Amino acid sequence: MNRWGPGFPTHAALVLCGALLLGGCGSGAGGGDKDELLVWVDNTRTAAAQQYEKEHPDQKIRIVTIPPDAGYVPTKISLANRSKRGWPDLVFLANPAEAATLAADRFAYAAPLEGLVPGKTLDGFAPGSLDTCTFDGKVYCLRNDIAPTVLWYDAKLMEKYHYRAPATWQDYQKLGLKAAAEHPGTIVGAVNGKYGAGTYFGSSGCPTRDTLSLTKVRIDTAQATCTRVAEMLQPLAEKKAVTTVVPTDPAFAKLGSQNKILMLPGPAWFGDFMFKPAFKVPDGRIAAAPMPTWDGEDRSYSGQVGGGAFLISKHAGKRAKAAAAMATWLTTDTALQAKQPTYPAFTAAAAEWGKAKAKDPYYAANPVPVLTKAAAGLRPGFGAIRFEAEWQNSFNQTVGAATGGGKSLTDALSDWQKKLTQAAETNNYSVDQTAG
Amino acid sequence: MKRSRSLAAWALIGPYALFLAVFGLAPAGYALWTSFVHDGAFSGVRNWSAVFDDYRLSDAAWHVGTYLLLWLPVLVLLVLSLALTLHARPGRFSSTMRFVYYLPGAVTGSAAALLWLFMFSPDASPFSPLLDLFDITSVTDALSGSTLIGILTVMGVAVHAGGWIVVLYGALNALPRDVLEAAQVDGASTWRTTWHIKLPMVRTYVAFVLISSFASGSQVFVEPTVLTTGAPGQISPTWSVNQLAYAYATQEGDFGKAAALSLAMLAVGLVAAWIVIKRTRMYATDDR
Repeated sequence: MNRWGPGFPTHAALVLCGALLLGGCGSGAGGGDKDELLVWVDNTRTAAAQQYEKEHPDQKIRIVTIPPDAGYVPTKISLANRSKRGWPDLVFLANPAEAATLAADRFAYAAPLEGLVPGKTLDGFAPGSLDTCTFDGKVYCLRNDIAPTVLWYDAKLMEKYHYRAPATWQDYQKLGLKAAAEHPGTIVGAVNGKYGAGTYFGSSGCPTRDTLSLTKVRIDTAQATCTRVAEMLQPLAEKKAVTTVVPTDPAFAKLGSQNKILMLPGPAWFGDFMFKPAFKVPDGRIAAAPMPTWDGEDRSYSGQVGGGAFLISKHAGKRAKAAAAMATWLTTDTALQAKQPTYPAFTAAAAEWGKAKAKDPYYAANPVPVLTKAAAGLRPGFGAIRFEAEWQNSFNQTVGAATGGGKSLTDALSDWQKKLTQAAETNNYSVDQTAG
Repeated sequence: MKRSRSLAAWALIGPYALFLAVFGLAPAGYALWTSFVHDGAFSGVRNWSAVFDDYRLSDAAWHVGTYLLLWLPVLVLLVLSLALTLHARPGRFSSTMRFVYYLPGAVTGSAAALLWLFMFSPDASPFSPLLDLFDITSVTDALSGSTLIGILTVMGVAVHAGGWIVVLYGALNALPRDVLEAAQVDGASTWRTTWHIKLPMVRTYVAFVLISSFASGSQVFVEPTVLTTGAPGQISPTWSVNQLAYAYATQEGDFGKAAALSLAMLAVGLVAAWIVIKRTRMYATDDR
């Protein structure tokens, strides 16, 4: 692995600097062609970009396929910023929180979409879905797909055990405890990283990443919206009804093949991309219910775990209009979006997408009505932050560790507060702990 | 005569000197300059003090320190004992084993990520009984808390040991035969030969292993980065000092801080190398 010359300064940063010293990295440097649109998309989006290129022969487009890895786009943009060239005009973010990094002064890469995308188009996106892209009232990106959470459950197991999918978190807790007592090993949720924090705390409206601007974030885990989640999870953690194993872990998949997953609140894409291929739960068993409701609230709110977005470069110059046109088509074209793998952010496209999904024999019941409602019920206050990786990691170190170790989750919340505050401040945010 | 000898010397050193200048000294110089610049203007020690004030640095330094404390002795002892064992029993078995030891280090990049995640996944790994022994029931477990450092040590040893075994084996092979034969004639046991003759004679090589391994170990980056892909959020994105330097440059767009931290790490490596060289008298020529 680390097989550079022994004793050599092999630091990544030094190597980067070295590469820069020798006249830029070369890769992806925008050609001399001033009209050519440089587009970076991940593998999944490449076919759509190529289709656009084919349908627009007048527009020169160069498509570069990039990996969906977290941190990749900021890395490349930081290098382009350094060499002052090579910026893509249009880029797909598989990790939309990176919009906060790319829009901030230090990167100064993302262009506000004012004047590029009409307000009428923006209004067509699922309510709240563009919050991720919005800072100081300006929209910086278009969401491609969103990942609202729902309560996934195994309908066959429910029937067999004579249970019913819970409508409130109180019932969810009761059912989890009952299942753990009557059928040891059964789990009703996962408390790990973005899956735990986004699903439970995000949907409850716990302010852990409520971005008030590009430099101001509201973090207050002492709020009732946070403590109610900790209190609800506490007994479930003690009885091992929720696991701290990350759903992408092979050990989690084993729970699926052993019929141990009774319920799993999680994002919309869990059905097609986790239950089916990873957990290998057979056809006709998985169904979706709305996220349970909290005492004193009359509707269900969903958290968010994933999704993607398109962002336009500040450096696009006269190509900005063409980039915006392409981004608009990629995110709002109903025919295109109807075929995409995950839930479209554009409401009209989502309706079309749902028509095909409704007939999917994989599900025990048509999940589309629930997904549609979930997409319309995103809990506000879940913004794009520059400390996304720390947000996930600090959750595991505090709330996750308490869940696995049988400690008080409410106490862990104050540790999480400390770590989040540190991470936010290091990333040039001032932290607001009181404002409602 | 003298002139042509120095010419030959320059011809031999030349390519390395060029590479050292272009890929070692020049970037280090550029980094030094970068470390004093903030937003395009000279900023004195601002970047340096910002780095040393960063709350993540002490955590990262602690992680790397613990890792070195575990990994370095295990690596050096294992490399030494395996190289000496192979050398004591030359033949087909020895050459096969040298190749086998080298294999884990040959797998890199995303293939390594998959391989290692597979190894540490109790449901798939051929070593699952061993993982059971340590109460590891999932990849999430393997990458949590104090288990992680053990996992990284295993990974680090497996990846780096093979190459060093080959180097040390070569060094042992180059030992003068007459000395070893004299020891044999004098009735020295294999153990005595190893302890009193072979080991002192390969001392400088061991010093070299130590210096190089300290440098690469203190800059540990690939292993924690690779493992993060298996369970996002489980390992801090700035677990090691080098990862922190990388995060400065790539995620925070702050090359000044990245350069400052990289240079600080370079200084640590140089000081460690200097101590090892002094203690092992690596460049001493009089007593050979």
